[in-house]
Amino acid sequence: MAGSAAVLEDSSLLSKLDRMLLPIERFCALLSGLAIFSLMFLAAYSVTGRKFFGSPMMGYVDYIEAAMPIIAIMGVSYVQRDGTHIRMDMLVSALKGRMLWFFELVSVLLILILIVALTYGAWEHFDRSFDCARPLCSRDSSIDVGIPIWPSKLVVPVAFGVLVLRLLLQTWGYGRALILGLENPVAVPLNLTIAEQAMIEAKSLEGLTDGTD
Amino acid sequence: MEPIEIGLWVSGGMLVFVILGMRVAFAAAMAGFVGLVWLRWNGFDYDPDRFWKAVEISVKIAGLTPHSKVSAQVLSLIPVFIMIGYLAYYAKLTTALFEACKRWFAWVPGGLAVSTVFATAGFAAVSGASVATAAVFARIAIPEMLKIGYNKQFAAGVVAAGGTLASLIPPSAILVIYAIIVEQDVGKLLLAGFIPGMFSAIVYAGMIIGIAMVWKTVGPPVTGFTWRERFESLPPASPIVLVVVIIIFFVYNPFGDAWGTPTEGGAVGAFIVFLMALYKGMRWAQLKEALLETAKLTVMIFTIIWGVLIYVRFLGFAELPDAFADWITSLEMAPIVILICILLAYAVLGMFMDAIGMLLLTLPVVYPAVMALNGGEMVAAADSAFGMSGPMCAIWFGILVVKMAEFCLITPPIGLNCFVVAGVRDDLTVQDVFKGVTPFFIADGVTIALLVAFPGIVLWLPSLAG
Amino acid sequence: TEWNVSVWGKRRAFTEHVEKLAELVSEKTGGEFTMNVSYGGLSKNRENLDGISIGAFEMAQFCAGYHADKNRVVTVLELPFLGVENLEQERAVSKAVYSHPAAAEEMAQWNAKLLMTSPMPQYNLVGTGEPRMTLEDMKGMRVRATGGLGKAFEAVGAVPTSVTATEAYQAMESGVVDTVAFAQHAHLSFGTINQADWWTANLNPGTVNCPVVVNIDAYESLSDAEREALDSSIEESLDHYLANYGELLERWDAVLEEKGVKKVEIAPEVLEEFRAAAAAPARDAWIADMEAQGLPGQELYDLVVKTLADTKAGGS
Ligand code: NA
Ligand code: NA
Repeated sequence: MAGSAAVLEDSSLLSKLDRMLLPIERFCALLSGLAIFSLMFLAAYSVTGRKFFGSPMMGYVDYIEAAMPIIAIMGVSYVQRDGTHIRMDMLVSALKGRMLWFFELVSVLLILILIVALTYGAWEHFDRSFDCARPLCSRDSSIDVGIPIWPSKLVVPVAFGVLVLRLLLQTWGYGRALILGLENPVAVPLNLTIAEQAMIEAKSLEGLTDGTD
Repeated sequence: MEPIEIGLWVSGGMLVFVILGMRVAFAAAMAGFVGLVWLRWNGFDYDPDRFWKAVEISVKIAGLTPHSKVSAQVLSLIPVFIMIGYLAYYAKLTTALFEACKRWFAWVPGGLAVSTVFATAGFAAVSGASVATAAVFARIAIPEMLKIGYNKQFAAGVVAAGGTLASLIPPSAILVIYAIIVEQDVGKLLLAGFIPGMFSAIVYAGMIIGIAMVWKTVGPPVTGFTWRERFESLPPASPIVLVVVIIIFFVYNPFGDAWGTPTEGGAVGAFIVFLMALYKGMRWAQLKEALLETAKLTVMIFTIIWGVLIYVRFLGFAELPDAFADWITSLEMAPIVILICILLAYAVLGMFMDAIGMLLLTLPVVYPAVMALNGGEMVAAADSAFGMSGPMCAIWFGILVVKMAEFCLITPPIGLNCFVVAGVRDDLTVQDVFKGVTPFFIADGVTIALLVAFPGIVLWLPSLAG
Repeated sequence: TEWNVSVWGKRRAFTEHVEKLAELVSEKTGGEFTMNVSYGGLSKNRENLDGISIGAFEMAQFCAGYHADKNRVVTVLELPFLGVENLEQERAVSKAVYSHPAAAEEMAQWNAKLLMTSPMPQYNLVGTGEPRMTLEDMKGMRVRATGGLGKAFEAVGAVPTSVTATEAYQAMESGVVDTVAFAQHAHLSFGTINQADWWTANLNPGTVNCPVVVNIDAYESLSDAEREALDSSIEESLDHYLANYGELLERWDAVLEEKGVKKVEIAPEVLEEFRAAAAAPARDAWIADMEAQGLPGQELYDLVVKTLADTKAGGS
């Protein structure tokens, strides 16, 4: 479950970079949210069109499929920033100090290698569908209305690129904590106990309801 | 080395990394990637010169998977279902629902607790996620119960357990995920969740009434609502009914001429809740917050989906699911005993893992085995081990594992719903909630046993849909 | 040598030639050259060509209409109302196009070599309610038909509607669509026949073209004996495919009767009218589009027409 954790800030360069990347990540996540929001309108529009005017929207499925990578992947770095990607933290929650930072560092480094590889693979996937010698640069098109697929494929390497930056910062953050033996390092999600996580989750819901009550 | 051996080593390695605390999505993707490289390099007889060729091909296979796997129209149900839940807060549907249930049901023994169960079941009809449901009702229902002298552990247990109904009663993100992994009809699965969900709610309510009748102090009834008050409570909660009716009419119209596909039904339901929220005063600031929260949860789920699917891609090349299915069917045990063992294994695994992660990691291997156990994907009911056709078995097993996953949300040591309830209420510790929820996991045990013994509870509704 | 073969769905008439090919090749090489046919385990169907291109597997099946821009040349075989009447003819025209240098050249960009087609019957309609016998009847008809076929129906005033194949049954049941265009085996496996009141026996609006391709590097690194075993098994596999599909088509009439589905014959003058309205514009647009991209559109189309005429003259 979403267990957002706290990310501390200070005046160091690392923390500054962290705060510079955050708005970009938030923007990407908001794009994701807006795409979800537009799904709703698209469906409502398509159903009304079909039900009441006998004219369904052509290419409805194609447009949704094209939007799915934005919905599903664009916010991946925003979620990594505060450690919302789920994990089993029975073991790490029992660790402290350098031992903990060591585990986190190894974990983040492995993810970094993985994502660099996936970014390249995703770029290649985009590249195979992209050829500007052709109309609309399209070398791969959708099934129903034949819209080019490359823009949707491009979303993935872009989102992964941002995630690579985030993972570099976290590698730096954990590495620094390991070397200096810090207790509360900046720019990395601090590992909370499950109870503390639940508390934050509850707070975020409180925030939600406060706005309306 | 045999591909299957590689499959086992890589899967074991993945579990180690998951236990060491690596994010599940990335641990699975990494396992898949390493496995693909290993398999291919193995195919090249470990020729060192061709190692990088193996890496290159694997990077490309893994790299196309996220786009390939998320661009499916049916997956758009997941974010829409999540968004409905967030919008429903702003539409003030939750408080209205609780108020209505209170006025109608609180006169029975354990009245407010029963009302809470029915209110969570009602909210489940618009919310696709369990934990959110538990958090909302911890704020609304627990104070009211404490005010009239409920045992606080019991009150907390009711809310933690009631929250789990959200994943059975449609819409449900987790049922959609199951349907996608096993490639079954999403509409039928959602439909199939309805009766078991209501059935669970009724088992909960029955148990609460029983407890309240034996121990008079647990939950006194609340009386004194006039019929006028009762009917007045209905209109504010009615959009829920509207949304439910719409989704049902989209998925399966009892009067023949239905309106569309489940995907569209979910989206139109969300649209109505959105209009309602606007009417109740939601503005851009709140909407933006809701969108960000929806996006966050959505991306978190999708990252696990594509991460695990990279691993599944590797499993396909390693032929591990086939091997596991062969092994399971070769066991000298009654199929039903094996099935019960599988369910028990989920109960144990679920104590330590997140429900979605657990299903995604295990289903690619377990599902083919269960289908093989029943006699194959296309087996007729008459020739099957469980007395149901292949597609029906897929639905039945889906409801069983989702119910298991929900059960795990209230079992110690990591019952997430319990932590959330304790987190919302300063006066409750996690131990309190676990104590209060104990009767409910007995009730869940009973429910699961009944669903296993009488598959008709699950299959009746989807079988009507043809 | 062991090859991985990526197809999708379940084993069915549509994949029988691939299964047969695997069997024959293994037989002829004494088990030296085997093929491991995977149903969806290796790739999504729309990414099979990508998989071939990167060398993820050695052989795969895909349909041209899934991604026209990946395989522009082959889409000539999906033009509406080409006049193909049976699987033999479909096999012949596909073979002619696959042998054309433009087709080979475009596939080579994906590191792929066209091996054989998967001949598909015409996508005749099943529908609910009263049969649609005239073009007037087809106005406003909501039809599940994708790609070029969808455009053909659009040309006569019908409304092509996007639903996935797996949602087709439900879409029909719920009235989201009135009619569904599929080959017979798909009407059976997606259950649309169970909802139908009628089926058009002779509309023959067109079909999809689904080639089987191999990775060029893998093909070239086969030993001579293995390559010979593969090449010599292709026609035999297709014979098996046709014989097997033939049985299914023979059962088709019985299925219609059992389900109480009316077999509808459209009048020849209506068909002519339909062709004029839908086929000619689609063809002209396709040729113009291809020529503009430097592909021999006219030549490919003429090749199809000529091969079809020859095949029909030859008695198939
Ligand atoms: Na629900
Ligand atoms: Na648990």
